[in-house]
Amino acid sequence: MNVWLWGATGLLVGFVPCGWISLRASRIDALVALQTAGTVTALTLVLLSEGFDRSSYMGVALALPFLGFVGTLLIARFMGGHR
Amino acid sequence: MTPHELVLGILIGSGVVGELLCCAGLVLMRNVYARLHYAMAASSLPPFLVAVAVIVEEGWTQPGINALVVAVTLFLVSPVAAHATARAARSRRR
Repeated sequence: MNVWLWGATGLLVGFVPCGWISLRASRIDALVALQTAGTVTALTLVLLSEGFDRSSYMGVALALPFLGFVGTLLIARFMGGHR
Repeated sequence: MTPHELVLGILIGSGVVGELLCCAGLVLMRNVYARLHYAMAASSLPPFLVAVAVIVEEGWTQPGINALVVAVTLFLVSPVAAHATARAARSRRR
């Protein structure tokens, strides 16, 4: 274990509050939790990429913010239009 | 522990703790607008701390630049997503 993998392991704890909000709060709150989980995932992949020295993980981390952004816009549009 | 490892530990530790505090803020806040503040804070400073840690380790090579691109992308697109989410929350409240 190096400092990168310790950091990635610590970041995994951040999924617990996001999952809690997704399960217990309203759907629009769950969307906010989903955005935060996407950020946590991207940072975890960056740390794992350095920790395991695998550059392919960084490619996923690069694509994730764009895909998460489009997904969030679509879900927000859907939720705003359907009360 | 060398100074290089110490700097890496401080940068990564600060990034991880900042991110975890933002995640805890999601649970502690009461409404969607307050939670959005924490979601946006999670995509502002902590990604840059992690990116700086990668640049300190790798220099201005492909992994360092990729980590910086991830941080800048999160910093730029998250406010737009937050705005769309807040608008959806507002229209659902009416």
